[in-house]
Amino acid sequence: MKRPTACVRLSLLALSLVQAAACKEGAKPEANTFRIGVVTSLTGPAAAFGQAHKNGYTIAVAELNAKGGVLGKKVELVYYDDQSKPDQAVQGVSKLVDQDRVPLILGAYSSESTRAIVPAVTQKQVPLLMPTATADNVMESGSAWVFRICAGSGAYASATLDFLKNNGAPKTLAIVYENTNFGQSNAKSMKTAAVAQGMTVVDEEAYQASSPDYKALLQRVKDKDPEVVYFASYLLDATTLMRQSAEVGLNPKYFTSAGTGFAAAEFPTDKGAGKYAELTFSVSQWLPSAKWAGSKEFDDAFFKLTGAHPAYHAMEAYAALVVAAAAVNAAKSDQPAALRDALRQVDLATPFGPIKFDAKGQNPHPVLITQVQAAQYRVVWPADAAEAKAVIPTPPWSQRQ
Amino acid sequence: MDKLWSGVQAVLNGLLTGSLYAVIGMGMALIFGVMRIVNFAHGAFMMLGMYVTYVLYERAHINPYFGFVGAALLLGALGYLIYHGLLRRIAERSDFMQILMTLGIALILSDGILLTFGADYHQINIPLLDKNVHLGRITLNAPWLVSFAIAAVLAIGMFLFVMRSSLGRALRAIAQNRYAAPLMGIDVHRVQALSFAMGLAAVGIAGGLLLPVFYLYPGVGDQFTLKAFVMVVLGGMGSIGGAAAAGLTLGVVESLTSLYWGNEWAIAVDFAIFLLVLSLRPAGLFGSQRV
Amino acid sequence: MTRRQLLLALAACAACALLPLVVQKDYQLNVLFRIFLFAALGLAWNLVGGFTGQLSLGHAAFFGIGAYGLALFHGKLGVPVWPALALAVAAAVVASVLIGGVAFRLRGPYFALATIAFAEVLRNVAKNLPDVTGGDVGVQAPPLFAGAISRSFYFAAVGLTACSLAVTAWAARSRFGYYLMAIRENEDTALSVGVNATRSKVSVLAISAALTAVGGALYASLFLYIVPDQVLAIDISNEIAIVAMLGGAGTVLGPIVGAIILETASEVFKNVFHEAHLLIYGVLILLVVLFLPEGIVGALKTLRRRRGKG
Repeated sequence: MKRPTACVRLSLLALSLVQAAACKEGAKPEANTFRIGVVTSLTGPAAAFGQAHKNGYTIAVAELNAKGGVLGKKVELVYYDDQSKPDQAVQGVSKLVDQDRVPLILGAYSSESTRAIVPAVTQKQVPLLMPTATADNVMESGSAWVFRICAGSGAYASATLDFLKNNGAPKTLAIVYENTNFGQSNAKSMKTAAVAQGMTVVDEEAYQASSPDYKALLQRVKDKDPEVVYFASYLLDATTLMRQSAEVGLNPKYFTSAGTGFAAAEFPTDKGAGKYAELTFSVSQWLPSAKWAGSKEFDDAFFKLTGAHPAYHAMEAYAALVVAAAAVNAAKSDQPAALRDALRQVDLATPFGPIKFDAKGQNPHPVLITQVQAAQYRVVWPADAAEAKAVIPTPPWSQRQ
Repeated sequence: MDKLWSGVQAVLNGLLTGSLYAVIGMGMALIFGVMRIVNFAHGAFMMLGMYVTYVLYERAHINPYFGFVGAALLLGALGYLIYHGLLRRIAERSDFMQILMTLGIALILSDGILLTFGADYHQINIPLLDKNVHLGRITLNAPWLVSFAIAAVLAIGMFLFVMRSSLGRALRAIAQNRYAAPLMGIDVHRVQALSFAMGLAAVGIAGGLLLPVFYLYPGVGDQFTLKAFVMVVLGGMGSIGGAAAAGLTLGVVESLTSLYWGNEWAIAVDFAIFLLVLSLRPAGLFGSQRV
Repeated sequence: MTRRQLLLALAACAACALLPLVVQKDYQLNVLFRIFLFAALGLAWNLVGGFTGQLSLGHAAFFGIGAYGLALFHGKLGVPVWPALALAVAAAVVASVLIGGVAFRLRGPYFALATIAFAEVLRNVAKNLPDVTGGDVGVQAPPLFAGAISRSFYFAAVGLTACSLAVTAWAARSRFGYYLMAIRENEDTALSVGVNATRSKVSVLAISAALTAVGGALYASLFLYIVPDQVLAIDISNEIAIVAMLGGAGTVLGPIVGAIILETASEVFKNVFHEAHLLIYGVLILLVVLFLPEGIVGALKTLRRRRGKG
């Protein structure tokens, strides 16, 4: 009966395998590369967005290295797939820091995974740049090691409300949100801010994401007859929601939304909701037509790489890496603490917009309100960035072509 | 009055959605009834059916309401091969191993599709989506009506096949007693291979019919696997008709839950009913045999 | 257990305890934590799935109750962490009695489906009651250990594995264990010779649930933050069952071997194959099912027996 010891031997063997595999990428320790860690979702339900991240990073790496990299070394990214699971994201941080010795991490994709790795990077004292997590609880810990590029759910709500207040000042609001971290965070932020502004929230509907039938839910919303509907929908459920809104005859004066599904490049086209997307409002972090220098170039590079136009997730990843590289160059160091201090000092114009972190590590990124007009996203708010006038109210479905 | 009409509308919409659930459930019932396999790859096979229909539409411009036939043929063939190549080899082993095998197949399918087609979400737009049928105050969406009709024809066809044909008789014989069936001169492997192929063909059809009104990505099928489990048990012991009735019931229950309580509770209600039925009437809502 | 086996088992424990002297990186300790956590969970599952032959695919329910129990008893009710852990385990035991009461009236695949349903109901309830559970926004879990976190959790997981192993070793040779195996082989015969099948099955599920809940609490406490789609997901149920079944259901050491091989493979594949790692993992499962249908340890046993004869 030697098996207990055999188990120990097996586990040692297993461990050396993990070690060997983890080192594989680092097997050739090139002195002239600078490694940065990336945690994102390459498989699992969020894989499409993880892929967008990867495309954004790929473009940034190519650009940076064409300009000579950082500190005279080529930038190299080490990816860890979190499989769209928060615990795997934590494992990823552990691997990237302990094994690959990266001094800085970008990620994760989802708010859940990002929230999960905040304690890990804080404990390991490695700066984390968050490109896409919008749930505001990712910034709640007060950790000195986290920096967020994008605007959060609170900013989404206040931008939307600001727009509504200055464009007809409607009084009643229904919130329809998917039952995930993203949906619940956005619904919560919206409700709090709307009530504070004196609006009445007449209905709150959570839904199970990725279902084929939302008609009964939309019927409920219709019965409450709100002036504004605010959707927080992650995936292509946006299309289903809009098609079925037409079917049940849900006719608010404003269809507004918290981006993502409603801000996807294909949403207003025939590969998305098509004409059902027309006149919907959405918050947006960025558009290929944005006024920031480099937006157009990024759009072209992305199109060359993938054959499609980018949504803002890819741009946020791109910007995160550009900021990281700037911090490395400014710090002239590969030490995490030095990089953190350099990140605090960053003041950079990027194609995503100006990036400068506040004391909490949040970049006060301006949120745009767009409206789909003739199958194009047009910025209608804030006034100084507007490219078109908002069409209000949305005509009833029965009066549309 | 408005309340009443909302309720009627919700029931009708529930039946339309339920008809697609029914096709998924019938496929699972065929497999479960004859082979006692809890097929964890069922949703992954449905996803594959959606991708086949999608590729036929994008590359060959075949309307999905014809393209689903391609999905059925391909999945049927795949089912036949998987049975003979994999499942048959472990037919004598414990149920555990068969379940494990379907879990492995599900992983391979969804990751394989991710590697082939990428992780992106896709959807298609056909003119039929814009058509609604108005009956008084009731509005029904045309594509759902078409899929309902196809599902109904399919359900009746499958039911007749199982009840009338000699293969169907053999199938039921195995479902009732898989040890006695071979003594009666039934070629068990042949029948099981065919039922697995038919089960996959059915779920492939469901995928094809769902494509126009939904969207696809590699993980789209996962939630439907669990729904299929619920239907098989509610329907009772791999009964084809029972699974179909259970599918319609689920559709209506989900729709009414959304209308009167909240969409987010629909799945919890599905499973609560499932547990209730299991504890009160283990033979299933529509089944008659003992478990 | 002979004296020799006992000594060997103790030696193995000592080796595990000394491992952190060699392995110092957090990453490797975390991988080891995961291996031992799933070894413990697999052993706990094996009591029900392997010895008693009741295929549970809903162990995420107990795992999640352990995780949420710790987080909520501590965070919402202010119970200190260790008593909160005890309460979480108690809650899982209560749940197991309820679940067992309903599900054990069913046999074979029906039992498996009923356990899935319980876990799914719990997951959805946790998602839909944000005021109680934090919903999908998630909830903070308290740290059980301070300082040298990775090492402490590693020891805790090893301890849990040792506990589960001891219970399994006892079950493999006690009267209770023989009842369980009699139920697995033929429940009706077991009933006819006077085994109280329902009571035995509910008892073993309760033991299994308690161990699983401790595992869930450890997991929550290591990651400090949990959401329903993570700790109550069917993926957790499946992973636990896969570890035990591939290692060898019904064998004492099977789940440990399964956890070592599968958790290592999963980590290695991810670093080597990138996006294709799940596909390779699926192929690995298929290969084991096809060629080692009794699991790895089961196959080794058969091999030894054959050699012994030849």
